[in-house]
Amino acid sequence: MVKRNVFIIGTGITGFGENYEISAGKLASKALTRAIENTKITKESVQSTFIGSLVSGSNSQPSIGANCLRESHIKTPHVRIEAGNASGAAAFHQAYLGILSGVFDCIAVVGVEKLSDFVNAGIVERILSSTIDYQWEFEMGATLTSLYAILTKAHMKEFQTTKEQLAAVPVKNHKNGVNNPNAQFRKEISIERFLNAKRIAEPIGKFDPATYCDGSASVILASEKFILQNKDISSKVPILGSSYASDSLALHHRKLLTELNASKTAAATAYKMADIKPVDINVAEVHDSYPIGEILAIEDLGFFKKGEGGKAVEEGLTEQNGKVSINTSGGLKARGDPFGATGIAQIIEIVEQMRREAGKRQVDSVNYGLTQNVMGTGALTYVNILGEEEVKK
Amino acid sequence: MEPPKIWREKRGKYLAMGVECSDCMIKQFPFTEKCSACGSENVKEYKLATTGKVLHFSTVTQTTDEMMGSTPYLIAIIELDDGIKVTGQIVDCNLNEAKEGMDVRMVFRVLARNGSEGLIRYGYKFAPI
Repeated sequence: MVKRNVFIIGTGITGFGENYEISAGKLASKALTRAIENTKITKESVQSTFIGSLVSGSNSQPSIGANCLRESHIKTPHVRIEAGNASGAAAFHQAYLGILSGVFDCIAVVGVEKLSDFVNAGIVERILSSTIDYQWEFEMGATLTSLYAILTKAHMKEFQTTKEQLAAVPVKNHKNGVNNPNAQFRKEISIERFLNAKRIAEPIGKFDPATYCDGSASVILASEKFILQNKDISSKVPILGSSYASDSLALHHRKLLTELNASKTAAATAYKMADIKPVDINVAEVHDSYPIGEILAIEDLGFFKKGEGGKAVEEGLTEQNGKVSINTSGGLKARGDPFGATGIAQIIEIVEQMRREAGKRQVDSVNYGLTQNVMGTGALTYVNILGEEEVKK
Repeated sequence: MEPPKIWREKRGKYLAMGVECSDCMIKQFPFTEKCSACGSENVKEYKLATTGKVLHFSTVTQTTDEMMGSTPYLIAIIELDDGIKVTGQIVDCNLNEAKEGMDVRMVFRVLARNGSEGLIRYGYKFAPI
């Protein structure tokens, strides 16, 4: 069990969707500024800024932190951290370690992506090819979607998971997304629309994947010492576990295609750090970039037995206030997926749940919440566990 | 499509050459200078089996420009007769004719074209036997 010494003290997020009029740096600045205002600390007390981003935007500025901080009138050292679709969670984890180590007492974490800049067909596919084995999968003709199709078929074959069970994932997430003011899509979609849509990679249909969009999300992390010194801080949510694990980049090098081993390993470490069991988690944000992603997640994280994930979703066990509430924010599917921002947006949803500030999305019981952010087909997974808010207002 | 990269990978992509460890005898692909099982540097080049069977497959309908000309196409994880698994396209086969367990042989084909005047990238694909 790890000592409780790292806390989330503030959050800031932009609406997710298409923002043609604003650059990636400005978008990141909006989220960061909101997080600092929300925390009621001075800009000067932030000691470092960690930015999670896969490609940032089309302005060819990989060190996006420079643009973001100039826009925000903040002067701190900054670094961009890239871990594919899990870049946000990666930046968050590094910041967590930064505070846990005692080197820093207050760090700003920002996740940002600006994907509406890439309007020509095929460019986002090229960006995503960096999250799978570029040489031996992508260059041989595979894409992220076709590899997820293979994962879906493997699960359907092994456990008789049905198309209806798979479609129940986005149906539920769109229903949740209606209540999320920052979500890209705030409307329900019927199961028939998912089932009748054109197939883009059998059995994946046109409406199944999460959409690539623009967005930024930010959280401020602080130590117990910093919180004691700053009396204006009104809320602190403890980080009880934070871990990550890897698997082979290429699917063809894995023994099993019915699980993401990296999720299982990262979760096992995070549970151990928090000294809790999967059954203790009340609410979780998981990586539902494709329907099978959520089904694999709820099995690999230990919420349901292997092979029973599809059935659990179909029976409503993952709905708000079900056995475990999954993706109350609407998930990647309804919220939209700006890669680097997604991992932080997941954390913000759990922070709001832990603070009981999630409005209509609020779940009744909030002892522990979890986030799971996946790169590619599971070559890297980050898992974080947050506890109930400790300062009562 | 950078010429040095295509040149560097020619033995793997054009000839399907992997390595065999002379100490633990494990065969692996792609080429590596150290055995991934025992760490030995005593490895020698090894030509992959040219026949195998389809383990998993799906279709690709949307990809980058250089490969869009071939869509929709079949993509598969193939287990070769020597036990090595690779990802590759299934060609000379209608989309609705692919089956798991189907026997295939390795063929040499165009993988991607960089416009009408750029480089052509070649490599292995698989055709039904």
